[in-house]
Amino acid sequence: MHLSDRITGGFLVLLGALAFWGGSRLPGVPGQDVGPAVFPMVIGSGLVLCGALIALGIGRSFEAPEPDDTDATPGLAGRLGRFAPVAALVPPALLIFYVLAADRLGFLLTAAVMVLAAALALGASWRLAVGLALLAPPAVHLVFYRLLRVPLPEGLLAAPWA
Amino acid sequence: MNTALEAFAMVATTEVAIAILASAVYGMVIGALPGLTATMATALLVPVTFYLSPIAAMATIITSSAMAIFSGDIPGALMRIPGTPASAAYTDEAYAMTRKGQAETALGAALWFSAIGGIVGTVALMILAPALAEVALSFSTYEYFWLSFLGLMCATLVARSSPIKAIAAALLGLLVACVGIENPGGVPRFTFGSTDLLGGIEPLPALVGVFAVSEIMRAMTSPLPPPIPNRKLGSILGGQWALTRRYQKQMWRGNVIGVLIGALPGAGADMAAWVAYASSKRFSKEREKFGTGHPEGLVESGAANNSALAGGWVPALLFGIPGDTITAIAIGVLYMKGLNPGPTLFTEKASSMYALYIVFILANVLMIPLGIAMIRLSRHVLRAPRAAAMPLILLLCAVGAFAIGNNPFAVVLVAAFGVLGYLMERNGYPVAALVLGIVMGTMVEQNLVSSLIKSDGEVLPFFERPVSSVLAALTITALLWPAGVWVLRRLQPAHAAR
Repeated sequence: MHLSDRITGGFLVLLGALAFWGGSRLPGVPGQDVGPAVFPMVIGSGLVLCGALIALGIGRSFEAPEPDDTDATPGLAGRLGRFAPVAALVPPALLIFYVLAADRLGFLLTAAVMVLAAALALGASWRLAVGLALLAPPAVHLVFYRLLRVPLPEGLLAAPWA
Repeated sequence: MNTALEAFAMVATTEVAIAILASAVYGMVIGALPGLTATMATALLVPVTFYLSPIAAMATIITSSAMAIFSGDIPGALMRIPGTPASAAYTDEAYAMTRKGQAETALGAALWFSAIGGIVGTVALMILAPALAEVALSFSTYEYFWLSFLGLMCATLVARSSPIKAIAAALLGLLVACVGIENPGGVPRFTFGSTDLLGGIEPLPALVGVFAVSEIMRAMTSPLPPPIPNRKLGSILGGQWALTRRYQKQMWRGNVIGVLIGALPGAGADMAAWVAYASSKRFSKEREKFGTGHPEGLVESGAANNSALAGGWVPALLFGIPGDTITAIAIGVLYMKGLNPGPTLFTEKASSMYALYIVFILANVLMIPLGIAMIRLSRHVLRAPRAAAMPLILLLCAVGAFAIGNNPFAVVLVAAFGVLGYLMERNGYPVAALVLGIVMGTMVEQNLVSSLIKSDGEVLPFFERPVSSVLAALTITALLWPAGVWVLRRLQPAHAAR
């Protein structure tokens, strides 16, 4: 998703101002001039300055031109057409799904759903996606649960070695 | 002598041997897959290092990163897609050689000079680090402040993007590091009442997010890379000796550039490769041949990016300041394993340091046979469908982030930083600067605040001590460098017009 420099620069100005304001309200250390407020205030001012310069388009001459992807994208993005950039949100959405579902469904089922959905969104064939979803979660579980002793949630479906 | 023997004993265990071999194969494969970088390979290894002895843990990081930096050259030469950013500088050149039917020479040069670069870099690390440790013992907070600040400035120079955007990215990283209770006042800062944020934002989930998840997000919306053509490869190392003799000067220059840039805090293999490629073109007698499949630049920059890898460990071991994004992760592991970075590391834990050097040398020697195997197998590895590799990486991101502290909040952070990294990359903000800001934030703040307390809020003492004044001058040069370049560029067309 490409945003204009005006927007990203403006956002940085806003963020910097908020950091400065938030920092300035932090309680100081008694008897000390320099406390937890100094650093966020310095950074906040820096961000405001940089954001303003970016919004004004200064320094753009240093940027390498962005390669434009004109080829067709396989999978979900190709099917979404004009809304293709939305497909980029699939991976973070699946991570959030993992956080929400892992405890209830258990690791194996959650991971299988994640892998299946990600593979299909990337344009894998059903055969490949289902195969991956069946094989990858038990393998990862075996390594992390048995070898590395990470307490992965059991949920509805427990692995035979758990 | 005793320490050296002790070090050999530490390395000569089955655990370390398995760790080196397994991480070598892992690094080779990850580095060769386009989009999966050496930094990402290292970040996903961290949960594994928890269960290893200190030396084995460091060995996995050293080995996998060295292999990944080399094998990033393979898709560069064969498909014109750099496997890791450190190969980007000479991808066009290597691909031009492949088109001329010299794929084996290009790949062989990448392998041979990577291994040499890695070994020379290690020797430089062995000599430089203890010598600098003597100097570093006398450093005060002023020097540490400038050093960490310099690291951030160098990270902004690396990026081939607007320097202002790079500085903004570094500041954003510093702001992320402000979150939590670990600050001069011990008050909750920017935690918005969340207990998960009290402990601050760990660099690792952020790293996994910006380097791995954002890459998967990009794969979702970008076209497939072109299929790799079938090509018979001849002898890979044949002809490398002739190249070594012919371009000896370039090779040494590449090694020196690599070590120096690697040792600069904040600047790593990517920058070393760009600078070395530029320098070999600048000083070449056959400048017109560059870009047409000429091995000269390949020799110099191929050596530079691997020697930079070792050079990056100099500031990491000495000051706990990352030389690049890989050592940024390694520092965390060093602390976890009781090898706290600092000048005293070289006296108190001398045998462990020797063991690290041995691992470095072993990894770079092992690179040659494994590299040849990888080049021969690359056709199959590179044919692995993206739709199969990326979902696996996504799963590993989730499990790996969870495994760091058995805390699901880390997975939320990974997702958030994935989105941030993706947006930043798409809009020309370099993510490496963000990551270094996050890693070094606490250090910059601590040294700034204690220096300010010592100086009673005065600025002058920051410049008074001899070393700190030199570091300050370097930092300010790095800060003003882009402005200088801009002015020069404005002046040059004016000259030409006259």
